[in-house]
Amino acid sequence: MSPHAEKSTEISRRNTLATTGAALAAATGLAGCLGGSSGGSGAQFSPINEELTVWHAMGGTNGETLDQIGSDFEGEFGTGVNMEFQDSYENVLTNTLSAFDSGNVSDMLQVDSLFAQQVLDTDQVRPVEEILPDNFDADIFLDNVAEFFTVDGELASLPFNNSNAIMYINRDAFEEAGLDPDDPPQTLAEVRSASERLVDQGVTQYGITWPNHVWFVETWYGFEGELLTDAENGHAGEPSELRTPDAAYDLYDWWKGMADDGLYTNPGIEAWGEATSLFIEQEAAMVLTSTASVAGLIADSEDFTVGAAPYPSISETRVGPVIGGASFYVPDGLPEERYAEIGQLLEYMAQPEVQTEWHKGSGYYPITQPSVDALREEGWFEENPMYQVALDQLQNGDASDPATKRALLGPARNVQTVIQNKSVDILNADSIDAEIEALKTEVDDVLTEYYN
Amino acid sequence: MSTREIFDSRIESGLLLLPTLLVSIVFLYYPTALAVRTSFFDSSFGQADEFVGLKNYLTLLTDSGYHSSLLLSVLFAAVVVIGVIAVSLYLTFLIHEVDTGQGLYLISVIWPYALPPAVGALVFLFIAHPTLGVLTGPIEALGVDVDWFNNGPQAFVVVALAAIWKQIGYNVIFMIAAMNNIPDTLTETAALDGVSGVRRLVSVYVPIMTPTLFFLVIINTIYAFFGTFAFVDLLTSGGPSNATNILIFDLYREGFSFFNFGVASTKSVVLFLVVGVLMLVQFRVTDKYSYYGG
Amino acid sequence: MVQLLQYAKRQANALRSDQTTETTHDARPGTHLQLWFLVLLVVFPIVVAVIVSTKETGVVTSLGDLLPGSYAVENYREALVDYRFGRFMWNSLAMSLVIVVGKLIVSVFAAMAIVYYRIPYKDLVFLFILFTLLLPVPVRFIPLFQLMNDLGWSNTILAITVPYIASATTVFILRQHFLSIPTSIVETAKIDGVGPLRFMLFVLLPMSKGVLVGVSIIMFVYAWNQYLWPLIVIDSEANQVAQVGLQLLQGDVQGGQLSWSLVMAGSTLTLLPPLLLMIVFRKPLLETFSIQQK
Repeated sequence: MSPHAEKSTEISRRNTLATTGAALAAATGLAGCLGGSSGGSGAQFSPINEELTVWHAMGGTNGETLDQIGSDFEGEFGTGVNMEFQDSYENVLTNTLSAFDSGNVSDMLQVDSLFAQQVLDTDQVRPVEEILPDNFDADIFLDNVAEFFTVDGELASLPFNNSNAIMYINRDAFEEAGLDPDDPPQTLAEVRSASERLVDQGVTQYGITWPNHVWFVETWYGFEGELLTDAENGHAGEPSELRTPDAAYDLYDWWKGMADDGLYTNPGIEAWGEATSLFIEQEAAMVLTSTASVAGLIADSEDFTVGAAPYPSISETRVGPVIGGASFYVPDGLPEERYAEIGQLLEYMAQPEVQTEWHKGSGYYPITQPSVDALREEGWFEENPMYQVALDQLQNGDASDPATKRALLGPARNVQTVIQNKSVDILNADSIDAEIEALKTEVDDVLTEYYN
Repeated sequence: MSTREIFDSRIESGLLLLPTLLVSIVFLYYPTALAVRTSFFDSSFGQADEFVGLKNYLTLLTDSGYHSSLLLSVLFAAVVVIGVIAVSLYLTFLIHEVDTGQGLYLISVIWPYALPPAVGALVFLFIAHPTLGVLTGPIEALGVDVDWFNNGPQAFVVVALAAIWKQIGYNVIFMIAAMNNIPDTLTETAALDGVSGVRRLVSVYVPIMTPTLFFLVIINTIYAFFGTFAFVDLLTSGGPSNATNILIFDLYREGFSFFNFGVASTKSVVLFLVVGVLMLVQFRVTDKYSYYGG
Repeated sequence: MVQLLQYAKRQANALRSDQTTETTHDARPGTHLQLWFLVLLVVFPIVVAVIVSTKETGVVTSLGDLLPGSYAVENYREALVDYRFGRFMWNSLAMSLVIVVGKLIVSVFAAMAIVYYRIPYKDLVFLFILFTLLLPVPVRFIPLFQLMNDLGWSNTILAITVPYIASATTVFILRQHFLSIPTSIVETAKIDGVGPLRFMLFVLLPMSKGVLVGVSIIMFVYAWNQYLWPLIVIDSEANQVAQVGLQLLQGDVQGGQLSWSLVMAGSTLTLLPPLLLMIVFRKPLLETFSIQQK
């Protein structure tokens, strides 16, 4: 059997298949399904189950707390709720987008704030304000939280598990190095000098660490009052470029310096667990991570005392943090009868009692004023001062400043990947200027491609 | 072979082949054909496919980053294939040489085959993480600066090592069977002639095992291109600076993180062609050098 | 032990006479030592995984941390009961069994047709089937996902079993095995006028027991370790498989949860079924792999 004959029959066979395949696809209209939607809003979706389905990305004990909330709702209202874990925010997004194409959608979708724009761009979601019962007061949400999730004056999605970035310190290590744990570093420069003390005196191997996630870069921009992109971070139109003000150069300059001098260690891309581990193992005395980590850190840090401190800003300017975490979107186009029940569930999840239960069980902060008040009344924040630090940082932020609204980007995951990967390049380069330029160019290209 | 063809009912043979062919066509060829078709479109969620002809292909043709990824993948495959075969061969040889404990050694060496790739990658991370790894301390004590989150070539090595480690089991199973088939007389003759140890392995055993070895080269190549996704995803996410951005990871990211189905399909067509060509080359070489006698 | 002493004596003599004697079939301590070292390297990751699964949070960063903890029972219980990991494993089992049985039947049919029937363009048919090895999941899963939706199979066991029913590897292995069955037996069957069904049941299958078992193990491991496809096509916890379920154990890392020990407990659990099968059935497994020779 000569290879030549093989190959040519193979090729012709392949061609026939491809043509048949394409013809089949065209004939049955399946090809259109690959990307085309069956119309804009008003497309009919069918629910997955008779009971309400909620797609979420909360694993571990947070997932259990969520399950509990679901069964409590069922107990009180009689409507069944299925909390379906979807593995990760990214998978929720993928499944959601493909569900919109296939027509079988979940009733509620937990979408990470990073991916908000992509979901909004589908035009297949109904603002939750229109679904919530009329007597629901949308003002109960904390300003800084509501700002991000309000689109065109209406609450588009139900904020639920939100957080911002914060710094945790190893109080014992601080004391050992002669630093005052009650007066933690507030700017990057102060972080540096504290790190130098800690490392030079051999208290810890590194000063600070944090997961290489775009959220931290966004938070630095936010505190500095600098927009990440134009068009008010995508809230006032289509973003077309990444902004690299002087503050960005200062940031990377500092970051690189810390890395070069062994004061900072890179735990990995989006390496939340690893960063926390480094802190717990006392390899680094400071860690930047989510406000939701409090309970976990306290539990895991058996040998030392953890303290919480506001996120260190690039300079003395402190405008405010950007919101992280996720919210619940509801698809438009489900059978109308379902929306009453969905509205009930949404309202239930925003109630003070449920918010409190969620906050205590998960560490994500309470996002409605009534729940904050209730917790304050029972003395919760006195017993748990670290949660107070998180809340203060949020409420001290200037919600009216566009820079504190997390960026709404269409190609969010793409931009995120570019920034994260290129940050490593910047750290390893000899000259950061050229690399930052390259970063900007690449992000700009991604944005242009998406929006055109 | 023709003396075996004792049945000739076309209908019966058709029926017997039907399930395999049907599933192959519907679930393997057809989606692939669709994917090929998508490579000529600009496709994503929530929008109609837009025909763009060869634009995606041209984009790849002029994208130097993609060229690097291609070369990188070929290099990666070469390293993994050679690495796996070399280590497995030596291990198999050692196991073959001992009299006692063969069973135990075999099981210990083969088990990574049963391990899910994702778990394997995760455990490898546990062991080799630059700051948290269990073995990082001892390795650094040997003078190596473990820094593969920043050092591209090092990251490449780490991912390659993980990939090799995982595939050893599969190779050893085949090799031990082949080596056990080598007649003892041959071994003894070689020993009497004074050919010992590794030399015996290389000059006597390997030539006889060539059919198995060439089969393994092909299997390992497919593994290196398609089966190492989990390692890149969990260890390096393609970095640093795209040092481990092999084609399969790149295409997955293009399709499932960036939702550029058109470009992702184009990339999968290219990947498929690259591997196809390599297979063809390997088949030719195999035919020339295989030793089927004995 | 006796061998060791004998060997040591011989080596001592050899040293005295300035010659290295290498006997091929005696166990040399050097060989065992090397084997132990290499085996340790290969086995080390699983040891780490199991140890981590016995700890409280499972943060291990140095060799010293590798002492087993006392949380084993707690962690495994938590995984199985609290997170219903048992459910996931059951789904994986159901899926794997269906795939194995399905593939076995379908591939035996196909291999029999290819070997024992006179079909025009037989080699092309065989190649057509083999070719699917180059069409891995990442290349086709977007259109395949669409197909599942269109067929209404989304989130059902059908979606995670039927696409796997055609197996190029299995057909290949079975074909090789059938080709090794002596033609005398085949010809006798023809002379006796045995029909295809009886031929398969009373001639082929009895002669292929070992290979069938071996091939089943391979298919089971493959099916059991599938991650990407079930991740995409199954979206309800009740139907999800163990590999994807591992993610649930990991918890909300962004929300600050660290549960390596739980993940490792889950990983160990998922490793057990395929590993046990491989250990129990290692003889047929080896037999299966030896046919690659031909």
